[in-house]
Amino acid sequence: MTVGPGDVNSTLDEVAAAGNEAGSSLRAATGSPGDSGRKKLESRSPVQIAFARLRRDKIAMVCAVIVVLFVLMGIFAPLLAGLEGQSPTATHYDLIGNDNLPSFYTNGQHWLGITSSNGYDVFARFVYGIRPSFLIAISASIVTTVIGVVLGLLAGFLGGWVDRVIGWLTDFSLSLPILLMAIALVPVMSQYLAGSEPSQSQVQQVRIVVLMIVLVFSGWAGTCRLVRGETLALRQREFVQAARALGAPTGRVLFKEVLPNLTSIILVSITLAIPAYIGAEAGLSYLGVGLTLPTADWGLDISLAQDQMQAFPLPLLVPLIGLLIAVLCLSLLGDAISDAFNPNTRR
Amino acid sequence: MTDYTSDAVEPPVVDISKSAGGTIVHESSREREILLTVTDVAKYFPVKEYSGLFPKTLQTRAVDGVSFDLAKGETLGLVGESGCGKTTTGRLITRLIEPSAGSIEFGGRDIAHMKEKDLRPMRRDIQMIFQDPYGSLNPRFTVLKIIGAALEIHDMVPKSQVKPRVQELLELVGLNPEHVNRYPNEFSGGQRQRIGIARALAVEPKVVVADEPVSALDVSIQAQVMNLMSKLRRELGIAFVFIAHDLGIVRHFCDRIAVMYLGKVMEIGDREDIYEKPQHPYTQALLSAAPDLNVVRGAVPNERIRLIGDVPSPIDPPSGCRFRTRCWKAQEICAAEEPPLEPAKDKPKHTIACHFPEVKTELVADVEAS
Repeated sequence: MTVGPGDVNSTLDEVAAAGNEAGSSLRAATGSPGDSGRKKLESRSPVQIAFARLRRDKIAMVCAVIVVLFVLMGIFAPLLAGLEGQSPTATHYDLIGNDNLPSFYTNGQHWLGITSSNGYDVFARFVYGIRPSFLIAISASIVTTVIGVVLGLLAGFLGGWVDRVIGWLTDFSLSLPILLMAIALVPVMSQYLAGSEPSQSQVQQVRIVVLMIVLVFSGWAGTCRLVRGETLALRQREFVQAARALGAPTGRVLFKEVLPNLTSIILVSITLAIPAYIGAEAGLSYLGVGLTLPTADWGLDISLAQDQMQAFPLPLLVPLIGLLIAVLCLSLLGDAISDAFNPNTRR
Repeated sequence: MTDYTSDAVEPPVVDISKSAGGTIVHESSREREILLTVTDVAKYFPVKEYSGLFPKTLQTRAVDGVSFDLAKGETLGLVGESGCGKTTTGRLITRLIEPSAGSIEFGGRDIAHMKEKDLRPMRRDIQMIFQDPYGSLNPRFTVLKIIGAALEIHDMVPKSQVKPRVQELLELVGLNPEHVNRYPNEFSGGQRQRIGIARALAVEPKVVVADEPVSALDVSIQAQVMNLMSKLRRELGIAFVFIAHDLGIVRHFCDRIAVMYLGKVMEIGDREDIYEKPQHPYTQALLSAAPDLNVVRGAVPNERIRLIGDVPSPIDPPSGCRFRTRCWKAQEICAAEEPPLEPAKDKPKHTIACHFPEVKTELVADVEAS
């Protein structure tokens, strides 16, 4: 009985009938009337609609598949390297000639060849190199988003001095020369955190954490601003006013009314942050302030291989192309998600 | 007066089967039981003006000393042109914003400056229906969650009863109770407005502030929603503060009418007094601006009162009477002295804020005649 124009009276009759059934009290609970015999209607939330739209986006789907492949390769890196029979950290000085170059391009033991100087296996380092990239990028973007969302929500919704203080912090963070800071801070912090005589794996763990801290420090402010702006707009919406008129406590209004409407920008900010952080991590490692040998890392490998790129391009090209594809696919996927959630984009 | 903490507050008992042909008891025929008293309430919004080196903070006087009362089951219409402070008044009553001055008395207590925590029980009694049916429902939630939230916040029913109660409410506002699991985007504007009404009714309020509830809807849907609201008012005995700029709807729906101009009340009176014997020049101008259907049928059109100029800025309202800059009767006293809201001759319930009130009839076409 969808209400169309002009059937108010029939509706009234039905209401009256229902009223009689239920007794005279409005409050009296009726069982759900007419539950049986009618077809259950499928309803989709806006998030479900957005994902349905995303599934129809071919580019997005191809990118998603490639990203999933990368993640799987990262997870099963020991398996893949084991298939080849190589380890990413094992050196092969016996295969390095006197000119510091490998004595061959590729062979059955080393599918993509070995690097110069130390003779690391390129394929094993490629699959293992996915791990620090994705690990740092995903965890840094999640932490960034959580901090940015919480602070942005508070600033936008509470306003007043809270907004001002958080505003100062974001301005401060955005005005820092982040590259300089990273170059200066990472070695100092690593030394400080690792203690006097750290083991090899401790050094790497500390460096990963420090890199994440640097990335989070530089990234939260952007998300915070984005969320603050959106919250400011949502605060004025009538459904938020309605919740307040009902007497909903501030926490409930914030996390039950406002936050669900931020799903799209949160998802978009995560998916666009991940490729940016993968690039940033590789960049820092390339500059020598990220991870250090013998850890397999794309940025590090690119910097090591660039000297011999004319004679032996594979050690350079493999991590470079891997980086390129990963960042490109994640960025395209992020764009597609942003389009899918934005009802104003038509393609 | 009202004990909010106990369950002593009885839900309005409704006998729907009888009320269809029931008689409407006009408040004139019985003692008015005052629910809500608004006294000299004002809301100033700070506005920064950037001229020179330092910004100056000015005040927009959105509402500047509004007083009225509302009796049980009564409907008060707030009319006036855009920007006159109708909506702000509505938000002050529901305490979505805090008044800058004045008092709002409800249930024997002044709620004007009450803290949010103390307000919560009162929130149940004063509800709001919003103007924009597309903005007033959270797009992320199903109808069940939207209306259920109202029930949850005030512990209206046990958890297991939330769904049946929501379905009951949907049925009450003329929607299919099967649609509880649908999202707002699956409904039309009129249906959404019904959901908004069901949400307001869920907590069994005594007063509902309806802020232009039908102005965003098609005319045919407007009639349906207005009929629904009339029915609910009749059956549940809810008092309405009805904010609108459609004079026809206000005449159809409201018992008493307050005419606002630039943050002030110009005239308050019973419907008949306002529509048939308006005394304030602004009311007369407003009524004469309403289109007359009889002209289409060949009647001689009434002479229109044409106001000249724009509404002055609420940042710097005119001295004395606010309306004097556009009033054809304005004299020196109007600029010097602000006219108080005073009862008309031998009509204690009809108050006018004018130095030169004068009855003027025949401004609106008789609805009954058409």
